[in-house]
Amino acid sequence: MSYAFTLNGQPIEVEADVAGMTSLLSVLRESFGLTGTKLGCGEGRCGACTVLVDGTPVVACLYPLANVDSSDVRTVEGLAGPDEPLTEVQSALLDHGAVQCGACVPGVSMTLTALLECADHVTEDDVRAALTGNICRCTGYTKFVEAAVSVAADSGGRQ
Amino acid sequence: MTAVGRNVRRADGEGKVRGSVRYGMDYTELGALTGKVLRSSLPAARIARLDTSTAATMPGVRAIATATDAPGLSGMFFVLKDQSLFARDEVRYAGEALAAVAADTEAQAEAALAAIEVVLDPLDPVLDPDHALTDGARLIHPDWESYETIVPGPRSGNLAWESRIERGDVDAAFQEAYRVVEDEFRTQRQHQNSIEPHAAVARYEEGRYTVHTPTQFPFNVRGRTAELLGVRPSDVRVVVPAIGGGFGGKLDIMLEPFACVLARKSGRPVRIVNTRSEELRTCAPREGGIVRLRTAVARDGSILAQEGEIIADNGANSSGETVACANAASLVLGSTYRVPNARYVSKVVYTNTPPTAAFRGVNGPYSVFAQEMHLDHIARELGMDRRDIRLHNLIGSGDVMVNGQEVDGPFLREAMDELETMRPWQQLQASKRPYRGHAIVPVTWLTNSGAGSASMKLNEDGTVTVASAATEIGSGAVATGVRQLVADQLGVDFHDVLVTPPDTDTGGYDLGAQGSRTTFGAGNAMIDAGKKVREQILDVAANLLEAAPEDLELADGSVHVQGVPDRRVGLAAISATASMTSGPIIASGGFVAPPESFDGGCMTGALLTHFTAATYHAHHAEVEVDPDTGRVTVLRYTVVQDVGRAINPQMIEGQIQGGVVQGLGYALYENLRVHGGEVVDDNLESYRLPIAADTPPIDISILENPCPYGPLGAKGAAEPPIVPVAAVIGCAVADAIGAPVNELPVTPFAVLQALRKQGESAA
Repeated sequence: MSYAFTLNGQPIEVEADVAGMTSLLSVLRESFGLTGTKLGCGEGRCGACTVLVDGTPVVACLYPLANVDSSDVRTVEGLAGPDEPLTEVQSALLDHGAVQCGACVPGVSMTLTALLECADHVTEDDVRAALTGNICRCTGYTKFVEAAVSVAADSGGRQ
Repeated sequence: MTAVGRNVRRADGEGKVRGSVRYGMDYTELGALTGKVLRSSLPAARIARLDTSTAATMPGVRAIATATDAPGLSGMFFVLKDQSLFARDEVRYAGEALAAVAADTEAQAEAALAAIEVVLDPLDPVLDPDHALTDGARLIHPDWESYETIVPGPRSGNLAWESRIERGDVDAAFQEAYRVVEDEFRTQRQHQNSIEPHAAVARYEEGRYTVHTPTQFPFNVRGRTAELLGVRPSDVRVVVPAIGGGFGGKLDIMLEPFACVLARKSGRPVRIVNTRSEELRTCAPREGGIVRLRTAVARDGSILAQEGEIIADNGANSSGETVACANAASLVLGSTYRVPNARYVSKVVYTNTPPTAAFRGVNGPYSVFAQEMHLDHIARELGMDRRDIRLHNLIGSGDVMVNGQEVDGPFLREAMDELETMRPWQQLQASKRPYRGHAIVPVTWLTNSGAGSASMKLNEDGTVTVASAATEIGSGAVATGVRQLVADQLGVDFHDVLVTPPDTDTGGYDLGAQGSRTTFGAGNAMIDAGKKVREQILDVAANLLEAAPEDLELADGSVHVQGVPDRRVGLAAISATASMTSGPIIASGGFVAPPESFDGGCMTGALLTHFTAATYHAHHAEVEVDPDTGRVTVLRYTVVQDVGRAINPQMIEGQIQGGVVQGLGYALYENLRVHGGEVVDDNLESYRLPIAADTPPIDISILENPCPYGPLGAKGAAEPPIVPVAAVIGCAVADAIGAPVNELPVTPFAVLQALRKQGESAA
């Protein structure tokens, strides 16, 4: 059995020796060296492992590898390539001073990217609701909200 | 353009948003084994049998360590040495280490743990701190008298440590009182819950341990690991990758000594990373506290005298800062209001529970909660307005704090006045609606005075590198603050100031990221080094420019003659010249805060004696209570905070917002419950952390009352915003429901209970 999907735009095939119930997170970190996605709690609560599967945020620590077969997976490393400028979301997070320890930031960046890609207009409440699954212990969330709202305002809603 | 005062982007920001920064939890080494720790399931027991022989023969197992491998006794800050790395003979808390295993894979390590034969003969656990202090209580450390201490301290049996402040004639003042008011408050354990769990990767080579760990305080980890393993501190090298949050929880050793001993025994690197459950069950939280206050007041609301007993639950040993910080509770009780006669006793008590430790603000949040709820009680007794009684007793210029230290200005009053312009008290009182409440709390807090050092060099390209063991726990102190200070001092761009990752082999001693000290203490040390580097630069430049050093200025990466901007030489050229003439430009510097004068005679057992670079704060909150569900909603929160000098206002705002939200968690949701000695909330399903939807609008006003010995006047900014939050929320909820709340957290159940009690007494 093998699982084929795209990972940050690259076609990927994971071979049969990895069981289907293996978490997507462990495959990302251990097989592909994508350590940007964090193991914060391993129980699907903190959201530090949030990645996008077909544009939807999922917690990779609980998400089975088998579920991503034929899907499009994006991680924080796929937001902007190593030599590319930051995305608007990443840039706004820095401009608003929204990054402290940063351990939750890969997950937060993915959640906000998904929100801003599909919403025409976002309010502060929309951002707070979208971030329900992302725990940040440092910032108190306010600057995440300000950053996301500023991106939406700059781009007229869509990135 | 100068860097200080600007919201520069943090130096580690791009890596963090790209996901390319390597945190402690991401770090590993080629060939690393997986380490796991076997922990006691019982809170109190005799170890009847511990047999690792079967486990040692299991597939993939490379090393097993037990108590015989770690002979030392130690304690946090080396204050009270009552901790061994592994339980010996007796288990004192559920979660105490019995053995550790290193194996090729995690599954093999877990299988080996399961194969270790353990027989524990249960003892009666001593769980309640009040009970622990009673005469008949079983001694948790029967050998307590034999433990080494840093200074002689008042202690006895289950009383691990006692600190005392006695000032004035308390008994006489109580006799003259118009009213005497008494209260008792109880607060819970709060867990730091950094998103990154504890992690350590150790190797052993050339007779030395090297351990990579995301610690806030590398020199403490070095010293404590060495002491537990029975080696010299210099036999251990601590290197710090990026840190994914700390909040006090990463000041002390957790996994480092286990990884070190396993690495030595296996001859391979060993990596240990905690699960979230291990974090919650074994990594020391803020202690639960009991505060009993008794106050004598005059008819006009003046505090005549106060007696306070603070009981802090140390847990099973002193591996956290609870003992070291015992006196902070007394200091904070007597430094916001005038308490002319005071008797404060702070008792740190052993129980058969997981050890407790520092969490941002240490015992401040619950001491302030107690004091403020108590003041509201006094105001009710006297029929006084809650703000008036605070202003009436507020400490100011010429007053002394309870330790005899003189207050350095009218700054608390200024904070209260600033708050008044933002949230006018009488207007809010007049517009009060049912089940809505508000409260105001002033507080004095401190900056950690501890030592820092730095070594600074001018690079060949004109950039500057600072070698330092100061750690960046996320606050931005290293990623922005100290770099901004150095950039302006040497006239270089912010991005041209590089700071090495902390490494105890190359960085000078630094007291770690605690008590808001990094920009203050490490910053001062860097400025000290920078002065010397600046002099060397100017000496070389003076020769090149044929001008006197005092006529030269540093700006934009070069030196020019004052008033003649064209007569200039770049720092790269100066570096090159120096290396061929006077020698490469490099200098070191150090700092420890100058002593403040206070009355040492009024204190016994006090390890924290005074306020360094005191800061002044006023917080206000408006809340709404749902009388049907008991749910508390924070409608608006306001902070006025004195920071001395705002080096990076945006980073300070971030600290305030984050600190307030952690405080809201403490006030309303978070409770690390321990039942029968076992941690109940060992996952984030039941341990309720604040989420984005819980965050109210937070209005912030930053005041700048410069500290004469702070870098450019700066004082600590990151720790204090959590300190008064539980007090403000507690008082505001009490105002909303018309009944006191004397325990934390103020859960919906607690609110409903208070409402019911109030209904019964009304009926």
